[in-house]
Amino acid sequence: MPNFNIDNTTKNTFDAIVIGSGMSGGWAAKEFTEKGLKTLVLERGKSVEHIKDYPTTNMQPWELKHGGQLNYDLKKNNPIAASCYNLREDSQHFFTMDDEQPYIQEKPFEWIRAYQTGGKSLLWARQTQRMGDLDFEGPVRDNFAVDWPIRYKDIAPWYSHVEKFIGISGEYDNLDILPDGEFLKSMGLNCTEEHFRDVVAKKYGGKRHVIYGRCAHITENKEIFTKQGRMLCQQRDLCRRGCPFGGYFSANSSTLPWAQKTGNLTLQNNAVVHSIIYDDKKEKATGVLVIDAITKETTEYYAPVIFVNASALGSNLILLNSKSKRFPNGLGNDNGLLGKYIAFHNYNASINAEYEGNLDKTTEGRRPTSAYLPRFRNVHKQETDFLRGYASGFSASRQIHQNSNGIGSSLKENLTNPGYGNWRVGAHMMGETIPKEESQVRLDSEKTDKYGIPQLRINIDYDENDRKMMKDYLEQFTEMFEAAGFTNIKTNSNYRAPGNDIHEMGGIRMGKDPKTSLLDKWNRLHNCKNVYVTDGACMTTTATQNPSLMFMALAARAANHAIDESKKG
Amino acid sequence: MNRRNALKNLGLFTGGVLLFPSCDFSDEKVGIILNKLKINAKQESLLTSIVDTIIPEDNTPGGISAKCHNFVWACIDDCTSPEDQKKFIEGLNEFNTKTNDSFDQKNMEERTKIVDSSFSDENKNIQNFLNSVKGLSVWCYTKSEHFLTVEMPYKLVPGAGTYNTCKTIDPNQKINSNA
Repeated sequence: MPNFNIDNTTKNTFDAIVIGSGMSGGWAAKEFTEKGLKTLVLERGKSVEHIKDYPTTNMQPWELKHGGQLNYDLKKNNPIAASCYNLREDSQHFFTMDDEQPYIQEKPFEWIRAYQTGGKSLLWARQTQRMGDLDFEGPVRDNFAVDWPIRYKDIAPWYSHVEKFIGISGEYDNLDILPDGEFLKSMGLNCTEEHFRDVVAKKYGGKRHVIYGRCAHITENKEIFTKQGRMLCQQRDLCRRGCPFGGYFSANSSTLPWAQKTGNLTLQNNAVVHSIIYDDKKEKATGVLVIDAITKETTEYYAPVIFVNASALGSNLILLNSKSKRFPNGLGNDNGLLGKYIAFHNYNASINAEYEGNLDKTTEGRRPTSAYLPRFRNVHKQETDFLRGYASGFSASRQIHQNSNGIGSSLKENLTNPGYGNWRVGAHMMGETIPKEESQVRLDSEKTDKYGIPQLRINIDYDENDRKMMKDYLEQFTEMFEAAGFTNIKTNSNYRAPGNDIHEMGGIRMGKDPKTSLLDKWNRLHNCKNVYVTDGACMTTTATQNPSLMFMALAARAANHAIDESKKG
Repeated sequence: MNRRNALKNLGLFTGGVLLFPSCDFSDEKVGIILNKLKINAKQESLLTSIVDTIIPEDNTPGGISAKCHNFVWACIDDCTSPEDQKKFIEGLNEFNTKTNDSFDQKNMEERTKIVDSSFSDENKNIQNFLNSVKGLSVWCYTKSEHFLTVEMPYKLVPGAGTYNTCKTIDPNQKINSNA
């Protein structure tokens, strides 16, 4: 029997453990396995293999039993998951249902989860904008959160490293607010978006920019993509089904198969991480305690380096639940700030209108991105009554009105003869929110999920700064829309709970000072240096950029740091 | 032994219950398998006739070819609330009463007249029912294989670089909403 235990320990020992196989975990796995580290990736959800497990990907519209509509009971029983715009008949199998992991909403918070191989990288909106020094220097200038321990120069090479591998379609805009990256060719703004761009540039003296939204789609053939087995984006605009061409980046199509090919990857599905094991004598983490989602059996896995990439709130939950004699309040949590200073992106305002120009023009085909306005408020100095600002998506499309008058043969005839309407234009806000101590998650003292893991209590809400920003967003966009000659302008606000943006961040923030932050500049826990957190949980502030690119760049950077450290012995 | 006998009896009893639905006491069998709704063959055939009237098989395939009658049932059965399902069945039954239980025996001309005028029926249930059927039938038909390959071709895989950012409209060309 003692022999058996030793064998088991050896069998369960790796050079690195990565918790989570999504956007950032996939990157850690890629870097580790490429450099020869035997890596265990623990994924709590089911296996989703590229192409093989995309059951709806090649379905024609008439093959969907309900034409894309969701099942009534599914919606009723899963109000959280069903609040996500991307949950449809053809993508429902990629979402985690509400009862898998109940949590307590101290304030309304829609926690969208997609537990499976690849995680939310299968479902993301694929927008990839870089953060810059105007973001990293924000907290010091405006006196909120804590200073980022890194600057743009620290992360820029890693942005490039990631972008060259995943493929980014973009245009070189040369803006201080939004650094350029490594771009493949653009799919273009359409003529009404260009009209808006020109009007805005003129009206605001070149201080506001309508640009092409940089997105993780392959638009040029390169050897690096061929090597991954990925091809040009075919402009199906059905990304949520999983792309059989690998036209957009997902961990499933890119980082994970790449890691698999090295022979150094062990990917374990249905592996729900209970906690990280801390050894008081060795003064470091030694492994991870895992519950099998199906058998409910527990197993320990060991490695000298542990990466936590379980999604922002998932990573918070794991560290909070990793209690030891040394860390009774959660791993690395000497200062009591673990789970605090969580923020998100405020998507709670949007505006739409019509445009009666360009009536002799239309677009053709489908484009899986849109136009983008980088932040233009409080860029170089404080100029409004709220802190920071917002970016915005913007898109225009020609309306085509279906004619469904009558019944019988005349109805059939009418349906084949639609008419052009005006252009439809729309914009949505992506506001920076301020991380605050009271915006936090903690463990409920009694309630647990079906694995016996404590439920998370989530206390996150909009604040006065957010409300002022929403008001300003709608005012500014109304002004810009009017200047562009858009008519029938309609504004919407207060229709989304936090979390629904799926950009929750923080709780295990990076910082210079162990007294006020959890992670150092290499994403290591200040007080437990062999545990790294490189997903959304590490974010000191949210900036306004879609954050997945940042998570990936930080994961790649931190993984290489861990490899360098291990060489030092 | 008692327990075993009890189980045996239970087994027989269960078997009897299972057999029961296949002993056909109703007039006709319902063709469609639904999850929640309990409908009879009469209701099924009435809805088929209405769908056929709204999107007929004329010189091109219509709603029946595209199985839109089944689509309507599937959507009502799986995607609507119990209250809406109840209203739908009420509307269907009231439409049946209004047409003297003989709608599907009428010719197409008569059927068209009846359906057309019933969209403004004083009975709200009938109005709502017909609007649901028409909406779902149009949805189904415009997503049907015929429509998306012949009438307004849809490409599942348009191909790289196919987004045209600015196309000048040719007023003489038919619009394809799926292009």
